Amino acid sequence: MLAVRGLRKVYEGHGRRVEAIGDLTFTVGAGEFACVVGPSGCGKTTLLRCVAGLLPPTAGQIEVDGRPVSGPPRGLALVFQEYGRSLFPWLRVRDNVELPLRSARVPRGRRRDLVSEALASVGLGDVHHAYPWQLSGGMQQRVAIARAVAYQPRVLLMDEPFAAVDAQTRADLEDLIRSVWQRFGVTLLFVTHDIDEAVYLGQRVIMLSAAPTHVAEDLPIDLPVERDQLTTRADARFTELRGHVYAQIQAAKRAEPSEV
Amino acid sequence: MSGAFRRAGLVLGLPVVLFVVWWFASYDSKDFYRPPLHKILEAFRDTWFGERMVQDVLPSLIRLGIGYAAALAVGVTLGVAIGSARWLRALLEPVLEFLRAIPPPVLVPIVILLAGIEDRMKVIVIVSGAVWPVLLNTVEGVRAVDEVLADTCRSYRIRGLARLRHLVLRSASPQIMTGARQALAIAIILMVISEMFAANNGLGFLVVQFQRSFQVTEMWSGVLLLGLIGVALSLAFRFVDRRVLRWYYGLRAVERQPK
Repeated sequence: MLAVRGLRKVYEGHGRRVEAIGDLTFTVGAGEFACVVGPSGCGKTTLLRCVAGLLPPTAGQIEVDGRPVSGPPRGLALVFQEYGRSLFPWLRVRDNVELPLRSARVPRGRRRDLVSEALASVGLGDVHHAYPWQLSGGMQQRVAIARAVAYQPRVLLMDEPFAAVDAQTRADLEDLIRSVWQRFGVTLLFVTHDIDEAVYLGQRVIMLSAAPTHVAEDLPIDLPVERDQLTTRADARFTELRGHVYAQIQAAKRAEPSEV
Repeated sequence: MSGAFRRAGLVLGLPVVLFVVWWFASYDSKDFYRPPLHKILEAFRDTWFGERMVQDVLPSLIRLGIGYAAALAVGVTLGVAIGSARWLRALLEPVLEFLRAIPPPVLVPIVILLAGIEDRMKVIVIVSGAVWPVLLNTVEGVRAVDEVLADTCRSYRIRGLARLRHLVLRSASPQIMTGARQALAIAIILMVISEMFAANNGLGFLVVQFQRSFQVTEMWSGVLLLGLIGVALSLAFRFVDRRVLRWYYGLRAVERQPK
């Protein structure tokens, strides 16, 4: 569904040359939930922007749904960390969710159903007519998620979507995104710097090295499908996986592969 | 309730005081050039509520309306184009700086030569002055479109006219309205000035006419009418502004709240 092969991205300008991504290769199967973690500054956002077709890679190929990415691909939605800046402040919640559908020429009746269903699925059935800035940060991010869900993407990319909300809201949103993923069967690539979050959410955790970035390890998460904040996080296996990822990231920071 | 009274008092207080002072200070004025206010008000009623309303005030306002609308259309259209394309901005900036620096009244003699002295000339003069604040503010507004929102549009494949309508114009709308507010004031000034040079009707024409024929009381009443038109237009503008930018004022109020 999603394939990244030999991705390399070098930023050049003002006489400086920064190699953000060295050589990245991985694939995410249809309907899979993969988390990407790495030390800060390892090019996670660059990776996501390349996959989303917002940034041309220096070398390598990206395929979404079997087609090479040269611009923003069809059937792909992106949820940003900066929810406050990714919602249109002049549109009400409902219109924010609806706009991509209007642009894609989805018929009106179908649009209405999709918008209502998406807002209900993120628990915002009652704020259709509010402006985004009238809502709390967590609710705004829910609107952004609803907008992505209503768009019916085959691939959903999330760029540290919960980094800017408080801890309790964050836990709620993590469970929400698990349920959205299960319900809509979307392929999900979730970038985060939070190790606990990556292990809790994903079926797989792809660990990146420090820049120039490559895949340090690709770890399957063999936790049960039904997860909840209390029991999963107390699970011995969770702690074990989390420790493993933590050690790997620490090793990546020191820029040497470790054997754990 | 007392809050509403207080606000009304603050808004109307000074105008009422000034009116009363003017009324009594000029009450038994014998000065030919400074007639008593009650005489001016009488002249106001006799001069403007009649066929002059149709023959002079209305043509002035129609020219103002057409000129202002054209300035908005031209300013926003060019502003969006210039704000969106860096090369166009680099190309046009020196010329625009030059044109903007020319005081519009000085164009009146030239426009008269090129476009005659009829309505067309007056509309052109209004546009030539009122277009600048709209144009320059639109350019700034379009350049300041939020990157995350622009990326959001790109990734949801919102482009072309939908992007223009839902992203570019809306995001620039606070600046466009700022420009439109300044343009309105300039347009009113130029409406009067364009009628003072060469005209056979209009408010500016009449005020000059009254002055030249020593109808001083009528002249004063013309100035009063212009002031009232200005106030009415700016109130109308405020009304539209509050509706168009409701989201903007709401957003700013939220941002100003202590977290």
